[in-house]
Amino acid sequence: MRRSGLSGLRRVLATAAFLPVALLVAPEAGSAQTLAVEGGTVHPVSGPSFEGTVVVRDGLVEAAGADVATPAGADVIDAAGLHVYPGLFNAFTSVGLSEIGSISATQDTTELGDTPHVKAIEAIHPASEIIPVTRANGITHTVSAPSGGPWAGQASAVVLDGWTVEEMAIEPSVGLVLEWPSLETREFDFSTFSVREKKFSEAKRDYDRTVDELGDWIEAARQYDHARSNAGSGTAVEQDHALEAVARVARGELPLLVVADRARAIRDAVAFAEEHGVRLVLASGRDAAMEADLLAEKEVPVILGAVQALPVQEDDAYDGPFTAPGRLHAAGVRIAFGTFDSSSARVLPYETATAVAYGLDPEAALRALTLGAAEILGLDDRLGSIEAGKWANLIVTDGDPLEVRTEVRHVIIRGRDVDLSNRHSRSYELYRSRPAPP
Amino acid sequence: MRKRTAIRALRLVLASLPAAAPLLAGPPPEPPPFYAIEGVRVEVGDGTVLERATVVIENGTITAVAEDAAIPAHAWVIDGEGFTLYPGLIDAMGSLPQPRRSPGGPGAGGPGPGGPRRRPDPDRALPRGPEDRPLTTPWKRAADDLTLDTEAVEAWRKAGFTSIAARPGDGLFPGRLSLVRLGAPGRDPEHQVVAPELAQMATLSSGGGFASYPGALMGRVAYFRQLLLDAAHYAAATAAYEADPAGWRRPEFDRTLAPLAAVASGEERILLPGSSAVEINRALRLGGELGLDFTIYGGQEAYRLAGELADAGVAVLVDVDWPEPLPERDRDPDADRPLREILHERLAPTTPAELAEADVRFALSSGGADGAADFLAGVRRAIEGGLEPARALAALTRDAAAVHGLDDRIGTVAAGMAADLVLADGYPWQESTRVEAVFIDGVRYAVSDGDDGDDGDDGEDGESAQEAESAAAPDGAGPRGRRGRGGPGGRRGGSSEALAPMRLAEVAEKYAEVAGDGRVPMTGPYREDDVLAITGATILTMTGETIENGTVVVRDGRIARVGSGVRPPSGAHVIDAEGGYVIPGIIDAHSHIATAGGVNEGSLAVTSMVRIEDVVDPTDIGIYRALAGGVTTINVLHGSANPIGGQNQVLKLRWGQNADGLRFQGAPPGIKFALGENPKRSRSFGQGPRRYPATRMGVLDVIREAFTEAAEYQAAWARHREAEAAGERSRPPARDLELEALVEILEGERLVHAHSYRADEILQLLRLAEELGFRIATLQHVLEGYRVADEIAAHGAGASTFSDWWAYKVEAYEAIPHNAALMTDRGVLSSINSDDAEEMRHLNHEAAKSVKWGGLSDEQALALVTINPAKQLGIDDRVGSIEVGKDADIVIYDRHPLSSYAVVQTTLVDGRVYFDRELDRSRQLQLAALEAALTESGEDAGEGEEP
Repeated sequence: MRRSGLSGLRRVLATAAFLPVALLVAPEAGSAQTLAVEGGTVHPVSGPSFEGTVVVRDGLVEAAGADVATPAGADVIDAAGLHVYPGLFNAFTSVGLSEIGSISATQDTTELGDTPHVKAIEAIHPASEIIPVTRANGITHTVSAPSGGPWAGQASAVVLDGWTVEEMAIEPSVGLVLEWPSLETREFDFSTFSVREKKFSEAKRDYDRTVDELGDWIEAARQYDHARSNAGSGTAVEQDHALEAVARVARGELPLLVVADRARAIRDAVAFAEEHGVRLVLASGRDAAMEADLLAEKEVPVILGAVQALPVQEDDAYDGPFTAPGRLHAAGVRIAFGTFDSSSARVLPYETATAVAYGLDPEAALRALTLGAAEILGLDDRLGSIEAGKWANLIVTDGDPLEVRTEVRHVIIRGRDVDLSNRHSRSYELYRSRPAPP
Repeated sequence: MRKRTAIRALRLVLASLPAAAPLLAGPPPEPPPFYAIEGVRVEVGDGTVLERATVVIENGTITAVAEDAAIPAHAWVIDGEGFTLYPGLIDAMGSLPQPRRSPGGPGAGGPGPGGPRRRPDPDRALPRGPEDRPLTTPWKRAADDLTLDTEAVEAWRKAGFTSIAARPGDGLFPGRLSLVRLGAPGRDPEHQVVAPELAQMATLSSGGGFASYPGALMGRVAYFRQLLLDAAHYAAATAAYEADPAGWRRPEFDRTLAPLAAVASGEERILLPGSSAVEINRALRLGGELGLDFTIYGGQEAYRLAGELADAGVAVLVDVDWPEPLPERDRDPDADRPLREILHERLAPTTPAELAEADVRFALSSGGADGAADFLAGVRRAIEGGLEPARALAALTRDAAAVHGLDDRIGTVAAGMAADLVLADGYPWQESTRVEAVFIDGVRYAVSDGDDGDDGDDGEDGESAQEAESAAAPDGAGPRGRRGRGGPGGRRGGSSEALAPMRLAEVAEKYAEVAGDGRVPMTGPYREDDVLAITGATILTMTGETIENGTVVVRDGRIARVGSGVRPPSGAHVIDAEGGYVIPGIIDAHSHIATAGGVNEGSLAVTSMVRIEDVVDPTDIGIYRALAGGVTTINVLHGSANPIGGQNQVLKLRWGQNADGLRFQGAPPGIKFALGENPKRSRSFGQGPRRYPATRMGVLDVIREAFTEAAEYQAAWARHREAEAAGERSRPPARDLELEALVEILEGERLVHAHSYRADEILQLLRLAEELGFRIATLQHVLEGYRVADEIAAHGAGASTFSDWWAYKVEAYEAIPHNAALMTDRGVLSSINSDDAEEMRHLNHEAAKSVKWGGLSDEQALALVTINPAKQLGIDDRVGSIEVGKDADIVIYDRHPLSSYAVVQTTLVDGRVYFDRELDRSRQLQLAALEAALTESGEDAGEGEEP
C-alpha cells in the first residue's frame, strides 16, 4: 500500500515554508485518482455510523461501508482510531471576497446600489490566504456571498481548493442575496455616544416604502420575463441583467437568500415571499427563534449567523443566542450555519458546538453543518454526506469535529487529500524554529 | 360661594389699577409699596400654617405676619378671605428665560448640548490639554446677562414662581449660578438679582469627542480634578507671594483659577451633576476625594441612594422633568423596553418622597422642564409619588432658599423676609388652582382674570385666562406668546402614558407577589453563605494538582479547605457538583465592559491622567453575562487611541454592588499604552486635524518625550522635598496628574499594559522601556509576539493575546492562533483575553484553542485564562488558583472546561453565588412577571388627562 505522501511540488513548498516569505499553498492537481480512507469510524450523516472504508475515485465517493475493500493501487489514508465525516459546509461567508478587514482595497463584497445580477464567483480570489486557513479546520466548502443592496448579488458555492475559481466552483449561483431593509427606532449616535430614539411612524413609513419597492422589482422582473419570452425575435424589450437575475427568483429557479435579523423583518420577509411566490431561505436570522413556528409552518429554512453572540436587549436571556438553534430545530425549522465573514470562517464548528452545549441535538448539529446545509442550498445531490456518487469532500479527525481540541488530520476535497499547511502553520513552524537570540 | 365672592371683591380692587396705564407714554406708575393682606390663610413655608392672618408688606419687606397684625394706615388692603398666601416659589436650578439667540451669538466658551452649533473659529486652536482650560469660564455669572424674555418671565410668575437659581451657560465649568427674581425685567433687570454668586457649577457633560480635550467622560472627570488642583496651587502660590513677596516672581493673575480657588479649598460651594445612581455615586466620591462643599443636581435616581446622601450630608437639587415613555404612536410595537427603564420611569418621581423621609436636604429644579407648567406637573407627579404636599411646598420655597444659603431672606412668609409671595386659592401645582396675585420684592403683580367680569369661563381654561391676564400685568407685556407657556394644563399635564409613580418598597412588594416562592434578587448575589462547600467535582486547582471527587470549602469568602477526603462542615450550604468540573474564576486581562462615557480619551497623545475607575458602570448587564461565562475578574482598560492612554481598573464582578464595590482592592494600578495603527491613526476617527503622531516613529517619540518630562517633574519634586527638609524656602511644583502617573511607572508602582501588534514595534517598546528604566507588565494583543518571544521573555513582560482573531487589519494579518502556545513554550507568561463583551463569555473555549494550535497541555491552556492573567495583573496572591486562603472565586462546569460543550453551572465571587444556571431561569421568569405586572394596562394608569 502506498501512503498518501507529499507530492513533489508540495515537498518543495514545505521546504519553502521555512522561508520568511508567505507563499501560497499549492492547490492539488486535478488528477487525483483513487484514494481509500481505511478503518475509520465513518459518519456518513445520511445513515448510521460504521467502522469501515471510504473509497474515492475521480473526485467522487465510489463506495463507503464496513465491508468495502481498498482497490489495488489506491492511495491509502489509515484512519484506524480516527473519524471520517463529510467536509463541513460554512453556508454563508465572504471567503475569497474579503481579505483584510480594514483595507477597502481587499474588499469585494459590496457593490454600489442594487446589483442582483453580480455573482460572487466572479470576484472570488483563489489565492486568498483565508482559504487554506479555513479548510485546515475541516471546512471543505463554503457559500461566498455578496452584501449590500438591498439587492446584493448572487451567492456562489465553492470548494476551498483549486488553482482557479473554475476548479473551486460548485455552483456559481445558489441564491440571490437580499439584505432586508431595517426598521430601527433606536440608533446609536456616535456624535453623542448615546442611543437616539427615532419616531416609529417615520421609520415605518420609510421601511414600508422600501419593502414595496422590493415587491416592484419582483413584479417588474415577471413582466420583463414575460415580454422577453413572448415577444420572439426582434423584441423591443432591451436586455436587463438585473431584471433577468430577479426573474430567476420569480421563476423559482433561485431562492432568495434574505439576510434579516429582527423578528419584524423575518415576518415581513416570509409574507413577502408568500405574496410574490418566491422561494425563501433566511440568512443570519438573529431573532429567528422568536418566529420559529412561523418559519416551520412556512417551511422556510435558516442559515444561522453567529451563535456566540450577545443578547440584543438587556433583559434577554443571557443564553438566548446560544439556545436559538436548538429552539429552531425543535420547532421543525431546517437550519444550517454560516459565519458571515471571511477570516473567522474556520470557527464554524465551535459556534455550532455552543448551540449543542445549549440544547441543539448533536446529530442535528452535524447534519446542519453538512447534509442539511447542502439541502437548503440545493446541493445535496453532490454534497453533504458520504454516499456513493457524491463529491468526495471528507475530513478525517481524531474526534468530534465540534470539539476545539479535536485535530483535523486530513481534509479531502473532490477526492484530493489537500495540504493542511497555511499562512498560520507556516509562520508557526518558521518562528518555532527561530534560534534563541545570542 | 363665599370664595367666589372674595374673588369678585379682589378683582374689583385690582381693576382700578392698570386702567390708567395706556394713557401714559412710559411705563405705568408704581403704586406706593404698602400692602396688607387681611384674613388670609398663610402657609409659612416651613411646614406651619396660620389659618387666618394679616400680612403686612412695606417697601419690599414683610413687616408683620399675625392674626391681629396692625394694618398701617397707608397700606392698601387686600381681602385675603378664601385665599392662601405662600412664599414665592423658587426654581432651585433652572435656566433664565431668555430670548432665543440666533446661531453665532455669544456662547459660554464652546458648544454644549442643545446649544447652537457654531462654526469652529479657525484662529482658535482646539483645546489640547487641561492647560487650555476648555469650556471653562468660572468668572461668569448667570446674572451677567439679564436679557430676559419678558413673556416667559411672566408665565413663570403667573404660575407662582418668584425667583430662579439661574444656571450660567454651557461648558464644563460654565460659571456661577445667580438667584434672579422673576419681577418684570423691563424696568431694571439688575434690581431683580438677589444673589449674583450662588455657587460654582460643573457639568461633565460637554465633550469634544476625538477632536478636542476632554472628549470622554473620564477625560472630563480628570480635567475636573486637575483644574481644582491647579486652582489650589494657584491660591497657595498667590498666598505665599502675598505673605512674602521678596525674591519671588509674582504669580500671574489667572481669571480661570482665581474664582475656583475657593471651591478647591471647600470654602465655596460647587454644584456637581448626578442624575443616575452611578452619577450620584461618582459625584459623592469626587466631592469627597477633593474635599469640596458640593450640592448634587439632577438626582432623578436618588431614590436608590437616599441613605448614602443622608450620611454624606449632601443636598440634592432634584430635576422634576421626569423620564417618560415615548407616546404610543412613536413607539415600535416590536421594541421591548428594558425593565430597568420601565422601573426608572415609575420610581424617579418618588425621589423627593424618599429624600424627604431620609432627611436629605433637597429642593426641586426645573431641569429640562419646558416652563412653569411642566415644572408644576413634575411636582404633581412627585406628590403622586408620595411627597407630602407640605414638603413639596417647602422644597419649592424655604428649602430651595436654604440649599442656596438664602433662607434668611427669602423662602418663608415671616416678618423680616423679603416680600416674595403668592396669593392663590390652592396649592400652586394643583390644576384647579388660580393664582390671584404674586408679590416680588414687594411689587404686586396681578395675575387674575382681570376685570372683564366674565365669570362664565374663567374656571379651567388656562389659555383664555392667561390672555386676559397679560393685559393686567404691571409690566404691560403684550398678549403674545402664551401658548404652551405658564398656566395649568401644559404638555406634561396632558401626558397620559406615564404610569403612576411607585415607591421602591412597592416595587419590592410587587416583585415578591409575582415572583412567589424561590424569589431571586433582581441584581446581586443569588446566595450569600458564610460557609459553603462544593462537593463531588473534579477540581482543576491550577496549582498543578487535579483533585478527583474533591471538595472545596469556602468560609467568609475565602477558600478554607480543598481536598478529596474533605467533608463539608456542618451548617455549610452544599453545592453538589458531582460529575462536574471546578476551576478558579476566569480572569479577563483585557476588557472594556462596565464603563460609561467612552473608553478612549482620544483627543491627546498622552492621557495618563484619565482613569477608568472614574467611569465604572456597575449596572452594565455585561457584568452578569460575563459571570455566566465564568469570568470573575476583569482588567478594564482604556482604549488604544493614543500612545499613552488612561489608567485601567481591575474589577471583581460583584454584580449588584456600586462602582466602589466592584474595585479589586489591592490590585496594582496600571495604565494603557498603545502602538501601531490605532495611535498613529492610520484609520481616521472622524473629522478634525490629524493628531501627532502619524507614524510608529512618532509613537515612540511621544512616549519617550512624555517620560522625559515626567523625569523632570519627578526631579522637581525631589528638589522641593530636599529643600524643605533642609529648611530652605521652597515652593511645591504644581501637581500634574498626567505626569504623576508616569512617575509612578518610573518608580515601578504602575503596570504598563501595552496594546501592540507587530514584532518590530513590540521590540522597540521593550527597548524604550529599558532605556527609560521601567518594565512593560503586559503586551496586549501582541499578535506577532511569537516572532520576538525570546525578547519578550527576557524583558519580563507578560503577553495577553487573542485566541485566533486575525486579518481584521494589516497589523493583524500575521497573527497566528499558535501565538499563545509558542510564547508559552518560549517562557513568556501568556494569557488569552477577550477585549469583547461576547468573547469573554467563553474564554475557556478560547483557551482550548491553544491545545489545538500549538499543543499546550490542558493545564497550560487553562492557565492562560486563570493563574497567568492573575500573575500579569499582580493579583495572584488573591485569585487565579484554588488554594486555601485565596478568594473563593470559583466556576463550576458540567464537563471539562476545555470542552466545546462545557456550560457554566455556577459562578462564585468571594464565596457568593453570583451566577447559577438554575436560578438564572427563575430570574428570567420572575423579571418577566414583574415587567408584566408593572406594565399591565389600566391597572395603574396615570392620572393625567388627554388635552
